[in-house]
Parts: sequence; C-alpha cells; structure tokens
Amino acid sequence: MPLVRKSTAAVDAPPADVEELKTALASSRPDERWQAARALIDMPGGIALLGAGLATEADIRVREVIFSGIARTATPEGAALLLQLLRSEDASLRSGALDALAAMPADMLAGRLPELLYDEDPDVRLLACELARGMPSEDATQLMADLLERESEPNVCAATMDVLAEIGGPQALPVLQRSAERFASSPFLAFAIEIAVKRIKTTLDSGR
Amino acid sequence: MNEDEFRRLCEFIYRRTGMVFTEAKRYYVERRMADRMLATGSTSFASYFARLRSDVRGEVEQFINAFTVNETYFYREDHQLQCLSADLLPRRILRPRANKTIRIWSVPCSTGEEPYSIAIWLLENWPQADAYEIEILGSDIDTRVLDAARAGLFGRRALMRLSADLIAKYFEQTDAEHWRLIDDLRQSISFSPVNLVEAAETRAHGAFDVIFCRNVLIYFDDASRRTAAENLYENLLPGGFICLGHSESMSRISPLFDVCRYSDAIVYQRPMERADG
Repeated sequence: MPLVRKSTAAVDAPPADVEELKTALASSRPDERWQAARALIDMPGGIALLGAGLATEADIRVREVIFSGIARTATPEGAALLLQLLRSEDASLRSGALDALAAMPADMLAGRLPELLYDEDPDVRLLACELARGMPSEDATQLMADLLERESEPNVCAATMDVLAEIGGPQALPVLQRSAERFASSPFLAFAIEIAVKRIKTTLDSGR
Repeated sequence: MNEDEFRRLCEFIYRRTGMVFTEAKRYYVERRMADRMLATGSTSFASYFARLRSDVRGEVEQFINAFTVNETYFYREDHQLQCLSADLLPRRILRPRANKTIRIWSVPCSTGEEPYSIAIWLLENWPQADAYEIEILGSDIDTRVLDAARAGLFGRRALMRLSADLIAKYFEQTDAEHWRLIDDLRQSISFSPVNLVEAAETRAHGAFDVIFCRNVLIYFDDASRRTAAENLYENLLPGGFICLGHSESMSRISPLFDVCRYSDAIVYQRPMERADG
C-alpha cells in the first residue's frame, strides 16, 4: 500500500527578532516579506515598520496581510496609520486602508469621523462616509445629515445619500427634502435622494 | 442565561475558536452549555464559567468539542476527489520533487470519513499511486472525533455513497449496523488536534501538496477566516492546492490564492514562489 505515516518537519516559524524581521521585510522574495509582515504586526514597534513598508510594497498579498493584521489587532496606532493612508495617491492603498478601517470596531473610529467629514479634501470626506456606514444608525444618520446640509461636492453628497439609503433614520428626512430642492437640477442626485427617502420610509413602515 | 452571560460566553468561544455565534444561535449555545453544566455538576452560569476559564480538568476542550458539527459521510462531494486524481496530483508531480512523498491534509477531518475517503479514492482511481509515498493526515479541533476517527468504526449512513465492492474491500462488518476499516488502511492515516486560527499549531503540521478544508470557514467571522486562510497558506507548498466546501469561496476571504477552474471543481492554489522583478 502506497500510504505512509511519517514525522514531517514543521513549517518554519518567522524569526522572533524585530531586526531580522525588518531585514526580511526588505527581501526580494514576496513570500519572505509576507511572513515578516505577518509576524511584525504583533511586535512592539511593528506597526511603524509596516507603515513604512506599505509605502514601497507592490505585492498585493503582502499589502493585504498588513491591512488584515492591522484590522485584527485594532490598535489606536494602527488606526492612525490607516487614517493617514486615506490621503494616499495610490488608490489600492486608499481602498486597503478603508477596508481595514471598516473592519475595526466602530467605537475606535467614532471619535475621528467628525474631523474626517470636515476634511478639506473631498476624497477623504467621501471615504469617511463609507466608514460611517459601519456605525450605529442614529449616529451615522446625524453625521451624514450634517454633512449633506453643508456639502457642495456632488460625489460626497451622493455618498451621504447612499449611506442614508442603507442605514439612515427618520431624522434625515427633513435634510433630504431640503437637498431635493437644492439639487433639483441634478437628475442623478435627485434620484439618489428619492431612493434614500423611499428606503427610510419603507424601513419606518415595516417597523411599525 | 441572561444577555450579559450569553455575550461573555460567545466572546469566549470566539477567542478560543474563531467561531461566531449570534443571538440567532442562542438556543444552540444554551443547549450545549446546559449539557456541559450537567456533566460537570455546575449549578450556575457563574460557577461553570469560572470552571471553563480556569480550564478545570480540561473543560475548555470538552466545551469546544460540544460546539463542533460532525455530520459527514464517505465520498462526500466526490467531484473534488475526482479533481484530486485527475488534475491536482498530476500537476503536483509535473515538477521535479526532492522526494517521492505527497502530503495531503484533511482539516477538519471530523470522524475520519474525509481522510479515509481520500485514501480509498487514490488507491482506486490514481494509477500513479504506487509510485509515490502518500501521507494523509486528518486534523480537527474536536479531540473526541479524533478518537472516533482512529477507531475507524462507521454506521450504515456514513457508507451510503460507497459501492458494495468498496465496502467489501476496505471494511469488515462488526454487526448489523457497523463496519470497521481494515487495519492496513486505519494504520496508514495519522490524526492530530489542530486549531486553524493558531499559527503555532498549524505550522507544526508541516507543508502539504493538497489541503481539504471544507465547510469550516463558514463558521468563522471575517477576521478569523483571514487568519485561518493565512495559516493554511503557510501550510501549502508553493503550487499546492486547497479545496473548500461547495458554498465557500477563498476569493471572498483573501487574495493570497489563485483560482483554478478544473472540469470537476474550483480549487485555490498557492502561487509558485517568485522574486520581484
């Protein structure tokens, strides 16, 4: 019978020394960088090294393991790094950071969201809307309604409407109605407002 | 069990296993909790939970065992076994190998039906089997099922997909309702405990050509699923394959693996090792 039982060597664990891992993070072999990145996440000073590594890392697998590790450990240091990456010129870094932030506990971001929603960069405000989606409905509704009231960038307005359509509560209805007048000349935004109002009312009706 | 107790218990299960139980599964959790309280003579949630957290007499292991699902049968989803012999192994042996060993991991293996099915399938359907040393390992977080797997005793239901010829060839009937695997086959398969979200435990099992990891990741939340996928990636040789359950998709969990579409199954592959540039 060709079936055998053997004692086989374990898979090599990554080095336990931060300096060795730092060297491995600069290796030309993606698998070595991947393993080093994975190990560094739980080490003191590891997040800073990974943040620096992300700036030059081109391999999607290595990037992903860094993002998922930061999301898993959910530390304030990790959240700060990710928030900074929302301003990156690299779209895949921005979306990786956004996904990782969305996977973190909502209360970790709650204190930072109002500030992001006031950011001077409309792209940051737009991404911050996505983060609001993970918050409790009442809090998200308040933030999105406030933003919609003062926002002039159409894409950001559309993002607030999208979030409100999904998780918005009735307190958003007056703002949406005022916005309908404001955006009457934009068929897309008018349509998005109509959808959001309908969904909120449907949710209200089904809850009665 | 009140709300707070339910939440604390679910958090404990999550931290130890990666399995997520929500309010929708409250009855399931309460039933198993009640069984363990009865078995340990605990009279209140507080006394049982203290026992659990202190792991008195291996209670953590007993508790986790009570939460696993172990219903399976031989040749379940056999289109993947067909894929194994028709596509995966032929590809694994295309490249020159340092030795003639092929390693296959069935995790979770439950009471052994899957690793034994792999063994029988390869003996029956892979003509090159005799040219290689095939090492099949079954692992599970539930230590109770591993004992059953080693014993190799199965009921009629577990054998329903096997032909009478295969049953006659690989089993001995012990009574009207039970069959035991022949010693040669039972002694050819190793079994071991493993927690898929603990890298130290998965690494100890070494690297494999093919991993069958079916219908377990669905019980994990996103973060634990990613951790398990990363651990399994480490356990695959470059170019090695992983087979998931029919309702599972690695593409939705992690970008680590390449998708491979074969005529009998969709499987996932660890890319061959490469250097930048």
